[in-house]
Amino acid sequence: MKLEVRDLRVSFAGHPVASVPELTVDGGEIVGLVGESGSGKSMTILAILGLAGTAGAAVTGSVRLDGQELIGLSDARLRAVRGARIAAIFQSPSLAFNPVFRVGAIVSRALRQHGLSAAEAGERADAAMRGVLLSPDLLRRYPAELSGGQLQRVAIALALALRAEVLLADEPTSALDVTVQAEVLELLRELRDSRGMAILFVSHDLAVIAELCDRVAVMRSGQVVEQGPTGQVIAAPRHDYTRELLAAVPSLADPGLGE
Amino acid sequence: MIALLIVLVAVFAPLLVPYPADAGTATHPEIALQPLSLQHLFGTDQVGRDVFSRVLAGTRVSPLVAVFVLLISCAVGIPLGVVAGYFRGAPDETVMRITDIFLAFPPLLLALAFATVLPANLTSLTIAIAITWWPWYTRLVRGQAASVAGRPYVEACRALGIPSWRILLRHVLPNSVTPVIVQVSLDFGGVILTASALSFLGLGAQDPTPDWGLMVAEGQNYFTTQWWVVTYPGLAILLTALAFNLLGDGLRDVLDPHSRWVGAR
Amino acid sequence: MADDVLLDVRDLRVNFGPVRAVDGVSVAIRRGPFGIALVGESGSGKTTVGRAVLRLVPAAGGRIAFDGQDVLGLRGPGLRAYRRAVQIVFQDADNSLDPRMRIEATIGEVLVAHGLARRGAVADRVAALLSEAALDPALASRYPHQLSGGQRQRVAIARALAVSPRLLVLDEPTSALDVTAQARILALVRRLRDERQLAYLLITHNLAIIPGLCEQMVVLYLGGVAETGPTGELLARPAHPYTLALRSAVPEVEAAARRSRIILTGDTPHAAAPPPGCPFHPRCPLAVDICRTRVPALQAVAPGRQAACHRAAEVLSGLRPPGAPAQLAGEP
Repeated sequence: MKLEVRDLRVSFAGHPVASVPELTVDGGEIVGLVGESGSGKSMTILAILGLAGTAGAAVTGSVRLDGQELIGLSDARLRAVRGARIAAIFQSPSLAFNPVFRVGAIVSRALRQHGLSAAEAGERADAAMRGVLLSPDLLRRYPAELSGGQLQRVAIALALALRAEVLLADEPTSALDVTVQAEVLELLRELRDSRGMAILFVSHDLAVIAELCDRVAVMRSGQVVEQGPTGQVIAAPRHDYTRELLAAVPSLADPGLGE
Repeated sequence: MIALLIVLVAVFAPLLVPYPADAGTATHPEIALQPLSLQHLFGTDQVGRDVFSRVLAGTRVSPLVAVFVLLISCAVGIPLGVVAGYFRGAPDETVMRITDIFLAFPPLLLALAFATVLPANLTSLTIAIAITWWPWYTRLVRGQAASVAGRPYVEACRALGIPSWRILLRHVLPNSVTPVIVQVSLDFGGVILTASALSFLGLGAQDPTPDWGLMVAEGQNYFTTQWWVVTYPGLAILLTALAFNLLGDGLRDVLDPHSRWVGAR
Repeated sequence: MADDVLLDVRDLRVNFGPVRAVDGVSVAIRRGPFGIALVGESGSGKTTVGRAVLRLVPAAGGRIAFDGQDVLGLRGPGLRAYRRAVQIVFQDADNSLDPRMRIEATIGEVLVAHGLARRGAVADRVAALLSEAALDPALASRYPHQLSGGQRQRVAIARALAVSPRLLVLDEPTSALDVTAQARILALVRRLRDERQLAYLLITHNLAIIPGLCEQMVVLYLGGVAETGPTGELLARPAHPYTLALRSAVPEVEAAARRSRIILTGDTPHAAAPPPGCPFHPRCPLAVDICRTRVPALQAVAPGRQAACHRAAEVLSGLRPPGAPAQLAGEP
């Protein structure tokens, strides 16, 4: 399972918004895309999913999933790919769940959309919930009855149930408490290790990226300024902006007042 | 655009009108009910007055009524709405109950009721319609004011020790007024229609005032044969209402930030 | 200690209907230069404490004294005077400035309202305040939407400083900002602390920004105090299991700074239905029988340190929880 991005360019009315010359995510690894607001990282995710067009953007370049080219695919064929092979989770999980439906109903509808029978959908959903350490009973609840952390884990469970092999995560923990964030990150590591998922993790939080990702690409104003194995980029940053970001991240190990 | 044209016509009507007297009290029974011609672009009405002149002159009547109605409605409705929305509690309840009482009546009927007890003239018409119109603005503004009152920058003002009256005047009011601006332009057409309806029923403008609704009423007997007597004033009503409606839509698109497309990150 | 205290919050209680958002919180803020952090996650009540101090929400119980004087009963001119001494910077940088007013008018309004400048004569004062907040004075003629998030937050700080407050409440001042903007704001606060002898209450969920700004910290959980103490000591040797988990969850860029994760089960319970006994016990990896029945009182566990935990002494001495959770979250 491999996601390959080459020469991806996203632009609005001629203005380039994101430009990624090369990015690869293999199964069993987590690749991070770090940048501040306006860096183009979220647009990159949308472009990979083929959703950038709905926002009015023009996309050129190549996104290959196991060799199959996604850019330019018809909507119908993209829909088959989305969910079943590439899944995505976003910053605000409550936006992904229609509040008038029970969570289980939404999950099951998504599964049936991809060809499963109702019974199969139910089984897969339950198994997936257990896979994210949530009780399947929670599927009977409405989104408003679940916390942000729980909803995010249900979103991940959906990706699991769909047997997606690639997971795109756009700031999935930015809106969560730090203790809940730790749980979700642990879960993502687990998905990478035991299920061999390929995960592309987008965030503005360099510390989270440093802890979670095997490789990282740093974006600024739509450009990738630096790329490489996480340890290397952090220990020996080559670009000034990367250095600037690293210097700005606060740490508990920082000297306190009067020290 | 059209609204601008209409406003221009209204302003310059006295200069454009070919037969100014016809807009007033003159009557020329001998040339009554003439069809369109070069001297009378829209023909003449049942007492020989030039319809074109009267339609043009009418631009000063109905719209003027609308302007006053909306001014009064705003003057009464907005302050009440702002106070109700910002303070909540007792002031809110009081204002809203009064508003509800007025809103419980169908507007046209209420206007009708007032118009029948007051002497039939344009002033009464204005007052009657204004009485039914202000509650809508109060309700509109109150919702907006309540939402603004909860916003961080208003809370920041309270934290900064800025007195309530100042907060109301400089923060809540300007930020609550946007939907009213849009509503006013949309309502312009509505008021004109209501005024025309009431005049049609004989409760507003009286002969010889060149009010469009009145003209339609007066000419209705001749509709099938001398159609121009009714049609042109009717068209004027339609055009004006439409023009201001479109103006309101355009304003809403400009003023409402939510309808503007938000660029992605 | 008593005359050293600028703001004394004792046993504060704030309710929103049946929900006890703040349930008996005490905080002592010393005279400047001094920084104290109020740390907690969602439902901890930290933001509400800040608002109660500013008299933006009514207190249901407890006492707040500023310079020895009661704050909760203030009205009219007394309240206005208090609002000159204590100010707040909100989290939402995007919305804490009136979008229809230019920066100069926004800051000028505060000056005029408090009689600190006359209506036409604010320009100089505004320029000085903007410079102090590391902003170009030329920004005074702009509208908020023309500024970046970081700049807006600095304008909010400049506005708060306009009244020369002695205590500044910073409610998650950088949570909505990019990390580089955050670094600048934190540096600004540090500088203001020195230049203005400022005392501040930093409300945040981000532990990592605390050591550089605050010498004391208070950890809140579900409306109550979990533990308090000097920052360095508290973070190095926590006395409460929640602090342990919180600290372990902070992500770090440097691998050497990382700690082994203590993963808590489940999420914070809803404040409307707190569990019996210790509010933290359902998620606590060190909970024992007594934790389920008796609410632990906030007690001294070391000089200058207090904790509300039945096993505080053990945690302080190094007790740490064992491995992974055995129960699925959401199961009864």
